[in-house]
Amino acid sequence: MEVLQYIVRKLIAGIPLVLGVTLISFVLIVYFGPDKTYELLGKNPTAEEIAEIRSQLGYDQPFTTRYLDYLREVIRLEFGNSESTDEKVSSILARTIPTSLALAIPGFILGNLLGVMLALVAAYFRGYWIDKFIMGFAAVGMSISFLIAIIGFQILLSSSDGLDLLPVRGWDTSTPLQYIRYVTVPTLATVFVALGYNTRFYRAVIVEEMTRDHVRTARAFGVPPAQLFYRNILKNSMIPIVTRIMFSIPVIVISGSLLLESYFGIPGVGKVTYDAIVTGDQPILKAVVVLTAVLFVVAQLLADICYRIVDPRVSLK
Amino acid sequence: MAAGTNKPLLSVRDLVVEFETDQGVLRAVDGVSFDIHAGETLGLVGESGCGKTVTGLSILGLVPSPPGRIVSGRILLEGSDLAGMDEVGLRKIRGSKVSMIFQEPMTALNPVFRIGNQMRDVLQRHQGLTRLQAHSAAIEILAKVGIPEPAVRVEDYPHQLSGGMRQRVMIAMALSCGPKLLVADEPTTALDVTTQAQVLEQIVRLQQEFGMAMLLVTHDLGVVAETCRHAVVMYCGRIVESSSIDELFARPRHPYTTGLLASIPRATEERGDELPVIPGMVPDLLHLPRGCAFADRCPKAHERCRQSVPHLDLLQSTRTSVACYEPNA
Amino acid sequence: MSARADTVGAHGDSLWSKAFRKFRHDRVGMWSLAVVLAYAIVALGVVLGVWATDWAEVSGPKWSPASVEYWFGTNIIGQDIFARSLYSTRTAFEVGLLVALGATALGALLGAIAGFFSGTWIDELIIWVMGVLDSVPFILLVAAIAYTLQGSPWAMHIAMISTFWIGTARLIRGEVIKLKSLEYVEAAQAIGVNRLMIIFRHILPNTFHILLVQATLSFVAAIKSEVILSFLGLGVKDGMSWGLMISESTFEVLAGFFNNFLAASVLMFGLVMAFNMFSDALQDALDPRTVK
Repeated sequence: MEVLQYIVRKLIAGIPLVLGVTLISFVLIVYFGPDKTYELLGKNPTAEEIAEIRSQLGYDQPFTTRYLDYLREVIRLEFGNSESTDEKVSSILARTIPTSLALAIPGFILGNLLGVMLALVAAYFRGYWIDKFIMGFAAVGMSISFLIAIIGFQILLSSSDGLDLLPVRGWDTSTPLQYIRYVTVPTLATVFVALGYNTRFYRAVIVEEMTRDHVRTARAFGVPPAQLFYRNILKNSMIPIVTRIMFSIPVIVISGSLLLESYFGIPGVGKVTYDAIVTGDQPILKAVVVLTAVLFVVAQLLADICYRIVDPRVSLK
Repeated sequence: MAAGTNKPLLSVRDLVVEFETDQGVLRAVDGVSFDIHAGETLGLVGESGCGKTVTGLSILGLVPSPPGRIVSGRILLEGSDLAGMDEVGLRKIRGSKVSMIFQEPMTALNPVFRIGNQMRDVLQRHQGLTRLQAHSAAIEILAKVGIPEPAVRVEDYPHQLSGGMRQRVMIAMALSCGPKLLVADEPTTALDVTTQAQVLEQIVRLQQEFGMAMLLVTHDLGVVAETCRHAVVMYCGRIVESSSIDELFARPRHPYTTGLLASIPRATEERGDELPVIPGMVPDLLHLPRGCAFADRCPKAHERCRQSVPHLDLLQSTRTSVACYEPNA
Repeated sequence: MSARADTVGAHGDSLWSKAFRKFRHDRVGMWSLAVVLAYAIVALGVVLGVWATDWAEVSGPKWSPASVEYWFGTNIIGQDIFARSLYSTRTAFEVGLLVALGATALGALLGAIAGFFSGTWIDELIIWVMGVLDSVPFILLVAAIAYTLQGSPWAMHIAMISTFWIGTARLIRGEVIKLKSLEYVEAAQAIGVNRLMIIFRHILPNTFHILLVQATLSFVAAIKSEVILSFLGLGVKDGMSWGLMISESTFEVLAGFFNNFLAASVLMFGLVMAFNMFSDALQDALDPRTVK
């Protein structure tokens, strides 16, 4: 019950954020967005025809009226149909989000898991050559552009100048093997770049925890290293780790794979969003922006609940 | 040391601990030697930075490394040398034969585990108890250190307890495996005054009940006076005086000890009287003078004090050792 | 581990002179600074028209390999890749410097205001704006701003500034809340010094070390974002950049011609890596915990 109350309170607290995002998206995408009048008109329109279309589109209404209309659509989750394919936006999202997840999840999990592992090793041996080696590797990962990593792995694994093992681009999940063949290059590029940032971040968090007093106490009571790392260091580092993971979820679900999907021609949300940007497909852009904001509110909520689970000092009040 | 024919429980000999810093090597402990007999309490006194905490940490091999390192010396516990022991061997001793409690009760316990869980962990590891046995043993020892409703408190997280209670939990954990030696590093410094007295009393009572020896590391001569029979005074990594408590307070031999004693506030003194303070500053450990480290602050210092370091020698016809060319009579 | 305990001796120096001395002894930091300066000279040369003036000219055969005439070869329509690389360096500095300055200034200003008025509606408002901007997907924001500015070449810069300031503002806000309670600030308030004066004269100067580090981070982020945005057609509109070169090269690499790709990615990697290392060294040198 207490938890439920907390959830409701948190969701209400998220309303200003979502409102703000709708305001921004309205101002930038609709109010100052491209004028659709002439797309809907025939050749040589008369002044009346123009005025009629403009009134249909609501262009003659004042700002607040138009924004409230926009808001009403958002609240009812009526995003309408795509302007380029006329498919319902909701069905487009339902179709493409699973693809984006299938593409992003392996890289996300590997990037974080390996990041924590490398960070633990680096932190444990801090100051020694293995720490320097890992952090040097992380610095390289941080300094290579994602785009360059993508092209690099593509050359290495998919071109006739490299190993030529995997498809150059495209997407196919009909069999697990096909899935692996298509997901490998994007995943490698993601992991390589994400690992740099993750390792660095997690190492800093872990080193901070390693120097705490209770770690010294545990050592003074004969706690062996493996248990020390799990009980005293990893568990206490969970809050920043959970925060980082939770807040990257909205980005992965909605637009994080935009570059990957448009580069490899993978039919996920990122590709749809990119196409919508290029063609000015307002209903899709609207849906994507609002959904991201809602996901951020949910991520914040999930993060808070996770804090409660990992840290008894945090209370849901 | 207290005269006794039996061998000491702990015997530290010529301990040297160094830290590597950007500016060079810093010698935090320089040739420290002392003995503790079974059941006896030794006070290790000095200002912060004098090397007393590092000495305490060395016994359990807890000097942070890098940058710290035991360079030479022996730490003999019942004949086996802890200074040369590997981690695996030390882990068997930590918390079982030798326990340690720390200054900061607020941060010394793991915040994300219940205190019962942390206590059970120690008992299960060292005593080979089952979970259930460890649980009742934990409750039993919590009751001994004066925690009310121990069966309830054992399910608390550290942040639910006050500082004094947390320090009692630390003491309970330290005593849970019946150690032969307790290293207590400023155990009451972070507590408020009333709690200080209670906790200190508790430590002394339990020490007698368990018959264990204690190394009490503190800057507070008052605490030493209440708990110890014998004390060692450190300054800049070296022992400057080693004496029985009665002698130390009645006839401090080293000028530094005299200064320390003079700076203790006394209830009998008139209000408004300023406490005498030792003039000058503690020298930088990286740039210690060639001679006695206290020479620059010492009213009796002369040429020889600045030329060479005085040895810690037994003063004739006393039981006090002092490292001074001009000890007080 | 060189970041430890630069404490003993040297009492009474300012944070800056200590940091400067410390940085000078940091070999990696000095080398990375040298590399960054070398790139800066290249960029300056392009601005002054000393070199790479012919970057847009079609001067040779298509895809000629590296030679004395064309150091890095030529691209698909016979333009000199070396000249284009140099010109792109200039673009990188332009984007990096503008965004770093803009984002840091904005972050400092809004962060300081939020921190100074913490607990009031002004603070709430700024925090709300930060949260909102953080929740809009970056690439969509760039696209939306590009729409609004009707394809202006500055859309990318403005979009980056409007998101990159947030991190700086959060740090400065926290720092200002800390500084606000210091005695001299309270004293200034007590004798009725103008609030803006307090922020600009007494508080912001004490956060300069944070701003400097944040500016280096924004610089790197801007260069990296430029590459991706330009590739997606949302970045540099006229001129040449590493992003556009890589975008050009995606067809070439599959045909087995790597010069364009290698030139852009190696040059970019060099600058970003050097800047990252410079930024690290700067943080080490300025960290009050290590300088004390």
